[in-house]
Amino acid sequence: MRNVFSAIKNMFFAPPPPKRSPEELRAAFARRYAHFRSLLTANNNALQAMAELEKVYYSGESYRMAVVRSKINTILVNVYKMIRGLREMAGGRYTELEEIFDKISCELSGIIERKPEFRDGPFILPLGEVTRRDREQVGEKMANLGELSAIPSLLVPPGFVVTATATRRFLTGTHIDEINRRLQTLDPDDMDGLYRACSEIKKMIIDSPLPAELEEMLVAGYRSLEEKNGPGCLVALRSSGLGEDSAGVSFAGLYRTILDVDRERLTTAYKEVVAGKYGARAIAYRRKRGYRHEDIEMCVGCLAMVDAVVSGVTYSRVPGGEEAEVMSINAVKGVGRGVVDGIAATDFFLLARNPPYSVVRQELGHGAFKNEHNLAEPILNTEQLRLLAEKAIVIETYFGEPQDIEWSFAVDGTLNILQSRPMMRPDPAAKKETIPAPAAHAEGELPFLTGGVCAAAGIASGQVFHVNSDEEMRTFPNGAMLVLEHPLPEWAPLVSRAAAVIAETGSEAGHLATISREFGIPALFGVSGVRQRLVQGDIITINSQAKSLYHGVREDLLSQRGVKRDIMAGSPVQRILTEALQLITPLNLNDPTSLQFKSSWCETLHDITRFCHEKSVAEMFTLGRGSHFDPGGAKRLVGDVPLEWWVIDLADGFKPGVANEAGTIRIDEIVSEPMLAIWQGISAYPWQGPPPISAKGFGSIIFQSAMRPDIDPSVATPLTTKNYFLISANFCNLSVRLGYHYAMIEAYLSDLLTESYVTFRFKGGAADTRRKAVRAKLLAEILQHYGFRVELRSDALLARVKKQSAEYLRERLRILGYLTLHARQLDMVMTQPQAVERYRQKFRQEIDAMLAIDAPVQEYSSGG
Amino acid sequence: MKQFDVLVVDDEAEFRDLTVKILNKRGINARGAESGEQAMEILRHALIDVVLLDVKMPGIDGIETLRQIRIQNPLVEVVLLTGHASVESGIEGMKLGAFDYLMKPIELDPLLEKLSFAYEKKRLHQEKIELAQMKKHMAMPS
Repeated sequence: MRNVFSAIKNMFFAPPPPKRSPEELRAAFARRYAHFRSLLTANNNALQAMAELEKVYYSGESYRMAVVRSKINTILVNVYKMIRGLREMAGGRYTELEEIFDKISCELSGIIERKPEFRDGPFILPLGEVTRRDREQVGEKMANLGELSAIPSLLVPPGFVVTATATRRFLTGTHIDEINRRLQTLDPDDMDGLYRACSEIKKMIIDSPLPAELEEMLVAGYRSLEEKNGPGCLVALRSSGLGEDSAGVSFAGLYRTILDVDRERLTTAYKEVVAGKYGARAIAYRRKRGYRHEDIEMCVGCLAMVDAVVSGVTYSRVPGGEEAEVMSINAVKGVGRGVVDGIAATDFFLLARNPPYSVVRQELGHGAFKNEHNLAEPILNTEQLRLLAEKAIVIETYFGEPQDIEWSFAVDGTLNILQSRPMMRPDPAAKKETIPAPAAHAEGELPFLTGGVCAAAGIASGQVFHVNSDEEMRTFPNGAMLVLEHPLPEWAPLVSRAAAVIAETGSEAGHLATISREFGIPALFGVSGVRQRLVQGDIITINSQAKSLYHGVREDLLSQRGVKRDIMAGSPVQRILTEALQLITPLNLNDPTSLQFKSSWCETLHDITRFCHEKSVAEMFTLGRGSHFDPGGAKRLVGDVPLEWWVIDLADGFKPGVANEAGTIRIDEIVSEPMLAIWQGISAYPWQGPPPISAKGFGSIIFQSAMRPDIDPSVATPLTTKNYFLISANFCNLSVRLGYHYAMIEAYLSDLLTESYVTFRFKGGAADTRRKAVRAKLLAEILQHYGFRVELRSDALLARVKKQSAEYLRERLRILGYLTLHARQLDMVMTQPQAVERYRQKFRQEIDAMLAIDAPVQEYSSGG
Repeated sequence: MKQFDVLVVDDEAEFRDLTVKILNKRGINARGAESGEQAMEILRHALIDVVLLDVKMPGIDGIETLRQIRIQNPLVEVVLLTGHASVESGIEGMKLGAFDYLMKPIELDPLLEKLSFAYEKKRLHQEKIELAQMKKHMAMPS
């Protein structure tokens, strides 16, 4: 309270500043005003970046570390600029802000630059000795396989793991820095650039020599396999990433597996698998799921090759609710690649999960065995199916959750387990999507196509887009229906951008199916002939669970969609952003009249911006201590006016003859065209808030709010806040604080179209984020209706009109004047949808009525 | 837009040449320098209003170049250009008196805006100095 009074006292009774010539005053003012303008710009940029950061955080969409880093950088630099600007305006005071800022930015960079901690261990570990405890050395995949190889009833091929320690020895910090440099300068949407960079990175890794001691260990490991499996035995090199295959994040099929490697190719093949971490698909996937490249470490499993007769994938429990008590098996001849790549037509079996594991259903693929009568015969016999089922249950029981298991039957009839990982299950929240097929199209046309295998359940609509080549992959539009021949893992980067995925071949067991489920993207595979039935560019709707495709956008179906899962949940990047936001967005300095509105209470960057903004306004306009301005600089607008408005003339904004020393000004003494236009909007309809304040009443209201500190801040603040017009003949900048809204109108009207502009910014309000966003959205819609170009980020709104005639811009300014004053009414009603609608109508009607009345600027007079 | 002179300092030739070309097309007198050393040499002789300076360069890096520019040509405004800058290097640059910074890849509109704001600041600064000098001369009639 003392602060308020001393401010007022300074305002009215300040000692006369040192005498200065009018030119000096104007130059000083121009400089100070330049600081103020750049401070406001920095303020807007900082708040906008904060809103953007919050938006990506809450959107449930994926975001990259590069985006987080660049937004935080933008915020930091702009906040620093504000501090610098304020200090220059305030003659070097506010040193303590720099200290607070340094502390926060230091903490922030600690959070952002934090590297995962790695323990070092041996280069090589025999698979038989590996357990879950070695995860940080051998990766998820090999840790699981190591566990399984210790179970007597299971057969896992012998092998060893080249550890993360070895990888770090091979790819040093210098390599990693160079790789990150290449990746970070890439435009995220530039697929060509990404592919080019990836092949360069891969070449760089493969050309790097393996450290001698590592090569020695690798060869020694291979020798020990030769001892078990015979000299010259072939091995498979499999990637095993750290952080890979943990629940909810599959990294399915993104990395390299190289089969049939002999001694000679061993070193190169190892380097290729390590380089696989930087494959374009893997990079795109990590970006989508919120993993930094340094969060993933590549380990390499080296397993003796199995001479496979039949291979496949078992899901120990079928994904997708209704058939939960069965397990599924997909099998092909030879090695299992065809199943996971989704190319081969597989034999498909559904088995009961209890002994004797009877076959519930079987579908034989085109590649099925033919017997002597040329009839299709299952690729697996009853005994093999029983064995697979039995082992699947053993593995599931061991890990305690349903498993996705890769296996091969060898020539000698043994069953080899090659990999096991937790299954990707649909989010429980998405369970609502189980809509029976017949009911789904009861309201409209029947589906034009049904069939296939539901690889990921869901409903979506979009434009058909066929992809057969890399070229088409690059031109794939966001939100289109991805139509493929084979669901190859190569297409994985498109999945997260697609409305849904449809393919001629494939099953629910492929990598692309796993990834679709993970991203919550509907996928329908194995629909033969579908590519001929779908015309490029047609809009269709898919219900993959009902295995149905419909023409057009079927709102009746789309409305039954469940909520999409947050694909960033629990990722390292999300954790970083969660922590970082704590230092950025919370606002503790709410009330400028409060005793706690001090620099020492600034705890976040948002606090600093709020503080700097408030103080810069004070520095700019109050005529207090340290001011160098002509006391007549700010004049109170008097007459029949709502609220409190002050006017500062930068150049030629007043009629000639207005006394410099006058403390007040009437509207008819103002000749600034943009200000007059705004004023027409402000005064077109009566103010619906508290009654206009007389000079006499002003003090009593301050007193009242000071006596009642609990008074609703959104009501108390406008009465103690002044609104400033900065004007010249053609220019006007109006800063308004109504409650916690901050609105700014800026305009320059010129005969030259290219110079003219009107800008409107609106931010905040004393409501929760959702209500703020509703209000900003309503304003955005109205402004768009009247021809503004609008950018809306969370609750920060920026509307612009440029390069239009002065007459057109004057009309826009009247609209803005109207909205600035009346937007405050929205505060009370934002929770009631009908009220929002009512206000939309009311605003539009009043604005239209206002614009219908021609009000030529030159003849405008006050009190009208 | 008023005419002014910009020096683009970046070791990446492709980026540097393209930026210079675009700026020239927009009526800004732009030229390039491939290193901090070359930039300092040009600044010794040529009239430059604003320097667009890449932070990461071989030889003397952007931050060090900025430091030298502040000493040699204190009136020249500097806009920093960062690729994958760490959080500190942006702030460090600002503390050393850079006018602003941009992140690569850059877009044209923000680039033009920042360069012309930087020039505007330089112009105001220069005016202030000239005004002060004029006052000094007038106060001491010789």
